[in-house]
Amino acid sequence: MSVAYVPVQWTRTKWFYDAVLIVAVIVYVAAFLLIGSAAADHSRPVDGAITNARALGTCAFLMLSMILAIGPLARLDRRFLPLLYNRRHFGVLTAFVALGHASFVIDWYFAFSPVPKLDALFLANTDIGHLVGFPFEWLGALALVTMAILAATSHDFWLSFLGAPLWKALHLAIYPAYASTVGHIALGALQSAENQTFAIVASAMALGVAGLHLVTWRSGSPAAGAGDWLAVPGADGVTDGRGLVVDLPGGGRAAVFRQDGELAALSNFCAHQNGPLGEGRILDGCVTCPWHGFQYRLVDGRSPPPFTEKVPTHDLRRRDDGVVEIRVTPNPPGTLTTPIPISTPAEGVA
Amino acid sequence: MTSSIVTLGEIWLIAGAVVAGGFLLLGLDRVEPNARGAYGFRALIIPGLVLIWPLVLWRWAVLASGGWDERRRHAPPRRAQAAMALTMAIGLPAILASALILRPSWPGDAPAVLIAPPPALSPASTQP
Repeated sequence: MSVAYVPVQWTRTKWFYDAVLIVAVIVYVAAFLLIGSAAADHSRPVDGAITNARALGTCAFLMLSMILAIGPLARLDRRFLPLLYNRRHFGVLTAFVALGHASFVIDWYFAFSPVPKLDALFLANTDIGHLVGFPFEWLGALALVTMAILAATSHDFWLSFLGAPLWKALHLAIYPAYASTVGHIALGALQSAENQTFAIVASAMALGVAGLHLVTWRSGSPAAGAGDWLAVPGADGVTDGRGLVVDLPGGGRAAVFRQDGELAALSNFCAHQNGPLGEGRILDGCVTCPWHGFQYRLVDGRSPPPFTEKVPTHDLRRRDDGVVEIRVTPNPPGTLTTPIPISTPAEGVA
Repeated sequence: MTSSIVTLGEIWLIAGAVVAGGFLLLGLDRVEPNARGAYGFRALIIPGLVLIWPLVLWRWAVLASGGWDERRRHAPPRRAQAAMALTMAIGLPAILASALILRPSWPGDAPAVLIAPPPALSPASTQP
C-alpha cells in the first residue's frame, strides 16, 4: 500500500500474473508465425515482416479486447476478479505489443519512402473524405498514442497526482482507443477478402466487448428519496462482512457494510485506483478492496498504520419506520462515524 | 516534405521534456508527499510527464497553491464512464457494419486468368 512510491509493488500474485501474460503472448505470436507462414499463399507472397506485423497486431487487438472485457465479466461473475487484479500490467504489455506491430509496419511499408518513414505514414494517404480508402493507419496511430499515454500514466503516482476525476477521465480514453482500433482493422485488414476467418474472429471479439458493456452498463442499488438523506432499502439484509453498493445522486456511489451486527458506510471508491470497495469484503476487521487488497477501517475509512490512505465516510441513520438512510454528502476522508445496529425482523419497526 | 502531424508531435515532446525536467527537479517533492525519499519510480513517470505535460503543469499549479479539495479524489466521473462505454458499445457494430458493407471487391479476389505473353519484339525495335 502507501508510504513511499516504488517502481512496481511486486507481489507473488503479480509475478505469476505477469509471467502468465508474457508466456501467453510468446505462445500466441509463435503459433501465429508458424501457422501464418505455413498458410501463406505462394501466389501472394507474404514477407516475414508482414507476418510479424500481423502476429503482433492481432495479439494486441486480442489483448485490448480482453482488457475491456475483464471489467464487465468481473461484475457478472466474481470468479473473473483475479484477472482484474493486475490489469495495469496487462495494459502496459498491450501497448508494447502494439508498438511492435507499428514498428514492423512502418519499417516495411515505408522503408523506401522518399520522405522520413514516420512522415510517410501520414502523407501516403490523406483521403479522409471517404470511408472506403480512409487512411486507416491514422486510426491505428491514434489508438497507439492513446495506449502509450494510458500505459505511461498507470503508476500509482498518477492517480494521486492527477486526482481521481482527472485520472479516470484520462483513462476513459481506452474506449475511443478501442473504437479507433476496431476502425483501424475494419477499414484496413478487413477490407481484404483474403481471409474471412480473421474478419469473423475480429468482429466477434469487438461485438463481444460491445455486448458485455451493454449488459453491465448499469449496476448498483439506487437510493430512494430526495435531499441529503436517502433511503437504502435492503441495508439490513446485507451479509455480515459484506457490502451493498448504493448509487447516489450526482453519479457518486457509497458502500454500506455490515460488521458484527452493525452497519456503516464508506465511499465506494478505493483511494488507490478507485476500485469498488462495496464489492470487497471485510478481512481482518477492515474493508478490503477486491482489486488490489487496500484496506480501510469501517468506522473511519482509514487504512491501518503504517499506511496512510483514507476514504470518505457516509453517515447512516434509521428512520422511525425502520428504514436505513444514508447521507449523500460524504464526510471528509478519514472522518469517524457512528455505526448503527442492524434491525432484525423480531425487533423491526412497523 | 514533412508531415505537420509529426512536426507538431516533435514540438510537443520537446516541450514535454522541458516540463518533465523542471517538475522532477523542482515540483515533485513539494506536491507529492509519497515521493519524498523515493527515487526508483521517477524514471517510470518520465514518459507520462513528457506526454501529458499541459496537465502536469496545471496540476502542479493547483497542488502548489493548495486549491484541491481532497474529497474530490473519491469522485470519479462515473456518469461519463457509463456514457463512454455505452457509446463505444453502440459504435462498434456501426463501424464494423459500415466497413464490411462498403468493402469493395479487389482485383485480387477475381479468379486468376492466363494472359498471353507479349508479342516478340522485332529486331528493328531492339536497335539502340
